[in-house]
Amino acid sequence: MYRYDAIDKEFLTDRSNEFRHQVGRRLAGELSEDQFKPLRLMNGLYLQLHAYMLRVCIPYGTLNVAQVRRLAWIARTYDKGYGHFTTRQNIQFHWIKLRDAPDILDALAEVDLHAIQTSGNCIRNTTSDPRAGATAEEIDDPRVWSEVIRQWSTLHPEFSYLPRKFKIAVTASAKDRTAARVHDIGLALRRGRDGTLGFEVMVGGGMGRTPFIGQTIKEFLPATRLLSYLEAVLRVYNRAGRRDNIYKARIKILVSSLGAEEFGRQVEEEWAQIDAARADLPDTELARIRAAFIQPGLEVLPAVSDSYEAARAANPALARFARNNVSAHKALGYAIVDVSLKAHDATPGDANSDQLDAIADLAERFSLGDIRVTHEQNLVLPHVKQSDLPALFEGLVAVGLATPNINLVSDIIACPGLDYCALANARAIPVAQSIAQRFLDADRAELVGELKIKISGCINACGHHHVGHIGILGVDKKGEEYYQLTLGGSGAEDASIGKILGPGLNADQVAPAVDRLVEVYLAERQGEERFLDTYRRIGMTPFKEAVYVDAH
Amino acid sequence: MSAEFLKALTANRLSEGDVVFWSSGQWVEQFAEAELFTEEAPAEAAVAVAKSQNRIVVDAYLIDVTRSDQGVAPVSYRERLRALGPTNELGHGKQALGGAAIAALQAASGAARSTGRLDLIRRK
Repeated sequence: MYRYDAIDKEFLTDRSNEFRHQVGRRLAGELSEDQFKPLRLMNGLYLQLHAYMLRVCIPYGTLNVAQVRRLAWIARTYDKGYGHFTTRQNIQFHWIKLRDAPDILDALAEVDLHAIQTSGNCIRNTTSDPRAGATAEEIDDPRVWSEVIRQWSTLHPEFSYLPRKFKIAVTASAKDRTAARVHDIGLALRRGRDGTLGFEVMVGGGMGRTPFIGQTIKEFLPATRLLSYLEAVLRVYNRAGRRDNIYKARIKILVSSLGAEEFGRQVEEEWAQIDAARADLPDTELARIRAAFIQPGLEVLPAVSDSYEAARAANPALARFARNNVSAHKALGYAIVDVSLKAHDATPGDANSDQLDAIADLAERFSLGDIRVTHEQNLVLPHVKQSDLPALFEGLVAVGLATPNINLVSDIIACPGLDYCALANARAIPVAQSIAQRFLDADRAELVGELKIKISGCINACGHHHVGHIGILGVDKKGEEYYQLTLGGSGAEDASIGKILGPGLNADQVAPAVDRLVEVYLAERQGEERFLDTYRRIGMTPFKEAVYVDAH
Repeated sequence: MSAEFLKALTANRLSEGDVVFWSSGQWVEQFAEAELFTEEAPAEAAVAVAKSQNRIVVDAYLIDVTRSDQGVAPVSYRERLRALGPTNELGHGKQALGGAAIAALQAASGAARSTGRLDLIRRK
């Protein structure tokens, strides 16, 4: 992974010292809350319902062993012993005290972590494929380009006060694991006919109260021109994006009002003005960054591990885990392992300190010290020898992290919701738990297959409900928690926005309704169809009738 | 219909972020110890004092409170959550204290918007 150099380290130390000073002035009464709030938000510190919440940036979802151990230590020392992984590959601590925040930033800086640009109207952490560098599907390693964007966008003077926040995703495989089409900019790596590397550039995707799927404004941007082109896009947005209405300030609104074609034309016009020699990354610098992502330590192994095959045949639990959580690696004899943070009684995305320490230990022993975070609130150990899978599985079982449910009905995205969040209208976590409880039968869950349920506690859509195969949105109906179901969304390469099923349901009705939706799917599906495919083929009506049958 | 005027004053403590309630000139941790205002003037006077305590609390606002057989509780579900803690971790937050007062809050039913908080969001 990329290693910070001396300048990066000095910068983080300075930033942490600066924040310590700012907190001191606030506590001494020298700064008012109005003066201080933007400063704490620039360091990822929010005030939520019960306490401060610190959002720590995990650059494109990549962590090393020392970093995970440090997160575990912070959770244990300053929080209530757990952290919450977010839908943007970051981690949040929900019980932070303002007076401790400077010490926490120091502790993070020691392992090259920080909370910069995890809030505010700036360019946020770049989303990337948690399987980067491990999957044979990728055209190039998207971390290289995510790191280029990280360095370019960190404290970028021109883009620190945008009309609204700005999120970029980089994907490099046909299978999109980054939700690129619902980002402000989605970058999909492509190979040109001549073999050169480039990006398909999609802009104006997003969720929130006005969801849009991103539209392609450039089919093939030569990869070497990435930064100048991003600068042009951001410049057009910064100039023309609305600042008078927070709900209309994201780039998606600008792209929608201008039309993608006109927006693209303005970007081209701006791009033509930019001095490429100044704006684009020199080849030498790109080569330096690229070198940081060459994975050392992969051995030449037989394609199949006999010991693993034998263990899998002898142990049905391992076999189930292998079916659902283990994927092919680009190197023979290796595997990519998804670690679910969605045990049926767990809070989606939460990991406690002991689990984090265990993950660090297991990654050190079995995954070349590499840990990834997915936007679906799970973890990935990307470089595991097949022969180590039985031991890894046992290690995960020991700390409650071997739930074999990746992409299944209980692998639910849920935002913290009203249990923690100051913006939420309804709880999300208990709804996720009630659905997981209803689908405890692992055989049935596997029979149902891929089914992405995503729950948001308010229209801001941190829980990605718009792109859930089944989306669940918590609403406040005369002060009571109600849930609006949507069907047919997808955040993957076949992206779409879900459509509303019908009238809102109360909390107790949600899990039974999901069950009925699943029953319709199982009755109607043809061949290898996923829930989403069946919905797209047969439409809303049969699902709607099943859920609202009692209402007639 | 004239509903009884019954309010409490809440805020978050600046240095910790903890939810606190006003009680006769000081901030207390538990809702059960909160001062209940039955008239507008003293309630607004307490808000004014809270706003002057910039070094101690942030985001002070009044919440509606209701009486029932179980005792008093915030009218709004959101405010009961603030007074108790998250429902997914019953060992976290103020509910960890247990006891009759917490049980009464947990037993309170009905839900309504937190008008004080909506005003707060609007002000932001």
